[in-house]
Amino acid sequence: MARLDAGTAARLARGGGRYLADLRVPGCLEAAFVRSPLPHARVGAARFHDGRGLTAADLGLHPLVATGPGLAGAPWIPLGGGRARYVGEPLAVVWAADRYQAEDLVDAAQLELEPLPPDEPLHSQAPTGVLFETTLEGGDVDAALRAADLVLEGRFHCARQTPFPLETRGVLAHPDPGTGVLTVWTSTQIPDLVRAGLARCLGLPEARLRVRVPQVGGGFGVKAHLFAEEVAVAALALRLGQPVRWIEDRQEHLAASAHAHDAVVRLRVGVTREGRILGVDADLTADVGAYSIWPFSASLEPMTAASSLFGAYAVGALRCRTRARSSARCPVGAQRGVGVTVGVHATERMVDRIARRLSIDPLELRRRNAVPACPWTSPIGRALDSGDYPRLLATLAAAAGYDALRAEQHRARAAGRLLGVGLALFNEHSGTGTQDYRRRGIDTIPGWDQSRVRVPADGRIEVATSAADAGQGHADTYRLLAAEVLGVAPERVEVVEGDTDRCPPGTGTFTSRGAVGVLESLVQALRAAAATDLAPGTDIVRRADAEQVYPSGAHLAVVEVDPVGWRPRVLRYVAVEDCGTIIHPEVVAGQVRGGVAMGIGNVLLEEHAYDADGQIQTATLLDYLVPLATDIPEVELHHLTSPSPRTTLGSKGVGEAGTIGAFGAVANAVADAVAPLGAELDTLPYSPQRIFAAVERARAGLPPARPGQ
Amino acid sequence: MICRLTVNGTPWEGDVPPRLTLADLLRDHLQLTGTHLGCEQGVCGACTVLCDGEAVRSCLMLAVQADGRSLTTVEGLDADPDAAALRDALVAGRGLQCGFCTPGFLLSALALRRADPPVDPARVPELLAGNICRCTGYGPIVAAVRAWLG
Ligand code: FES
Ligand code: FES
Repeated sequence: MARLDAGTAARLARGGGRYLADLRVPGCLEAAFVRSPLPHARVGAARFHDGRGLTAADLGLHPLVATGPGLAGAPWIPLGGGRARYVGEPLAVVWAADRYQAEDLVDAAQLELEPLPPDEPLHSQAPTGVLFETTLEGGDVDAALRAADLVLEGRFHCARQTPFPLETRGVLAHPDPGTGVLTVWTSTQIPDLVRAGLARCLGLPEARLRVRVPQVGGGFGVKAHLFAEEVAVAALALRLGQPVRWIEDRQEHLAASAHAHDAVVRLRVGVTREGRILGVDADLTADVGAYSIWPFSASLEPMTAASSLFGAYAVGALRCRTRARSSARCPVGAQRGVGVTVGVHATERMVDRIARRLSIDPLELRRRNAVPACPWTSPIGRALDSGDYPRLLATLAAAAGYDALRAEQHRARAAGRLLGVGLALFNEHSGTGTQDYRRRGIDTIPGWDQSRVRVPADGRIEVATSAADAGQGHADTYRLLAAEVLGVAPERVEVVEGDTDRCPPGTGTFTSRGAVGVLESLVQALRAAAATDLAPGTDIVRRADAEQVYPSGAHLAVVEVDPVGWRPRVLRYVAVEDCGTIIHPEVVAGQVRGGVAMGIGNVLLEEHAYDADGQIQTATLLDYLVPLATDIPEVELHHLTSPSPRTTLGSKGVGEAGTIGAFGAVANAVADAVAPLGAELDTLPYSPQRIFAAVERARAGLPPARPGQ
Repeated sequence: MICRLTVNGTPWEGDVPPRLTLADLLRDHLQLTGTHLGCEQGVCGACTVLCDGEAVRSCLMLAVQADGRSLTTVEGLDADPDAAALRDALVAGRGLQCGFCTPGFLLSALALRRADPPVDPARVPELLAGNICRCTGYGPIVAAVRAWLG
């Protein structure tokens, strides 16, 4: 395939990207939000300067409820509906000619807040605070543990984190009094789902709403939700009959967009003396914050994490009791790798612990337990379509020079250095389709994707998909693919995304849908179009409802911990990826490199914290640390290609793999580095403070700490 | 307050509120929206511009503090072949995905070129540690800047 067209990138590099904050609409007002200073309170009377402020009741906003098996049915309520449920929650919207004046209005607003006791339930539908509960089980776990030579236990905690795209959220709503249509520009990954949610919250037919997506400065999952600010700005624009815009600031983003993780996984694993894993008994509790987030609901991370446990290993029996609890904190939603990061962290740390206990090399232990061949169905019914796990490990060992690395580590340790080598073997599911969502009880997400190929009168070829590019660059890939399949010059092809008027509806862009369902529908539409003469008037729409596919990978990290400041540094990173057929190598490499960097940040640096009074402690970038150029080594990338039989081209998606692998490899490498000191790490991030504390405890002969219990 | 400055070689004069930041002056009053705001906390570097040749964070500076100064934003790089070469190298090396961080990186890197004594290319990661990129993992950015300085 031709080299990626650098047109978009060149325009962006000239500062020519039109991101949400760059849109200019004459007469546009600026909104700002009055936010809760308390974690839990009843909202009483509200007074605004000049009457320029509105609450949920004033705007008549309807809550949304995600229902399904295991869900308590607690609502998602834009602007709180008379209650504040976390610090930073938007409770009222104000507006002015510019943002400076709007913020003056926020300062002047008076909201009567009556603090509620911390143990008062946030939602009457969930009196015990459990928003979601289920058990996944397959095989006879109890028998497997009884048959085991030994049963090892572990408890692993993933911190509360946030995807942190460099561009914050933003929305601009623009009513057209002539047509009665409200155009909502928003920085989102899911335009169709935003439109559906907006329509329900506002009590409008979807036909009265057009959702458009400008250039997006990164999403990574956080922009795959409907937000109260989108609903409020849309309602305000309708109320005032004027365009209104809101641009999130970073403090709002860190405190009140969507967080992720904060999940504790407890494992009991039965193994034979030879290191064969017979069965896994797991228990997972996630703190999902104040709401069952829309559209994914409170089941998103816990379900995904539970189903990903020991996913790359041939384990005969697995059970995971899973629950999501609410707390007066920012709601938890999607983040790159969703719960798979949580599951892989627990799994891979545990596999290393088993290896250490049995004195078996971690690579060898993985060899003994890896899924031997695909297709393969796990005890909980994950049907791996493709992949070659033994070869992933062999390729990784050769590429990294594993034996030489261990020898080097031996010498380094003898010289007093804390050098660790960490491995991860994993898979993930991507391109989740309708059946998968229904099975999981999520009925708010269609699960299918669509593409449309149209030839307007001017002879251009318009390719429209239900995806929305958040900066991954898949639009460029689609254009080249279209040119190739149709046998036309790429310049003739225009890719249209992120406009509910021009694009066929679908599910949006997350869990690498862009390389699975969307791509599948596009391939079908293009092939159908190629069979025609592409005459003006051609208009072909194809829908694809993907079956889940399983990209896989094996990663290795080398980490050195400095024995004075306890700072871990990643010295080397080797990734072997199997994302099936590679559509565009440069996009794949970019996704993996960026994903690994995010994973390194997630494992070593990033953590949202709340104090005992429910106040967030990490609303600035001096408190919430993201990785910088000095934190990330060059990523050595290698490919294995086992095409998926479930998609026409065989691609499986690669958007999350880099991050997921790092949750295993980097975590294991840090733990391996300090293992000679007897320190045990199980709570992310593995920051200098945590490493130091673990080393101190080991020196004092104490058992590992249990923060967050 | 009256503020007079030069932006990308063109003089500008206007009455600005004292609390207006330089970033908002550039973006909202001069329509130079290539200067991005990623944090307004002085950490992410997306808002970096050159002020009399030195890299500054336009989110932390008031417009009135730039009175009498000469500014360069990403929109002004075409005038400087050296800067344009860096920009092209970044594009060719896939040093950007979403592009939100890119203008800031370009201007931070340009300030490095002007350093005296010249910077050691080996130190590029440290020297660019005032800019955040969440998409690329930094590798391609560092490589492009190193090659350009080289
Ligand atoms: S916006 Fe100025 S440093 Fe982030
Ligand atoms: S390219 Fe997206 S933040 Fe750098």
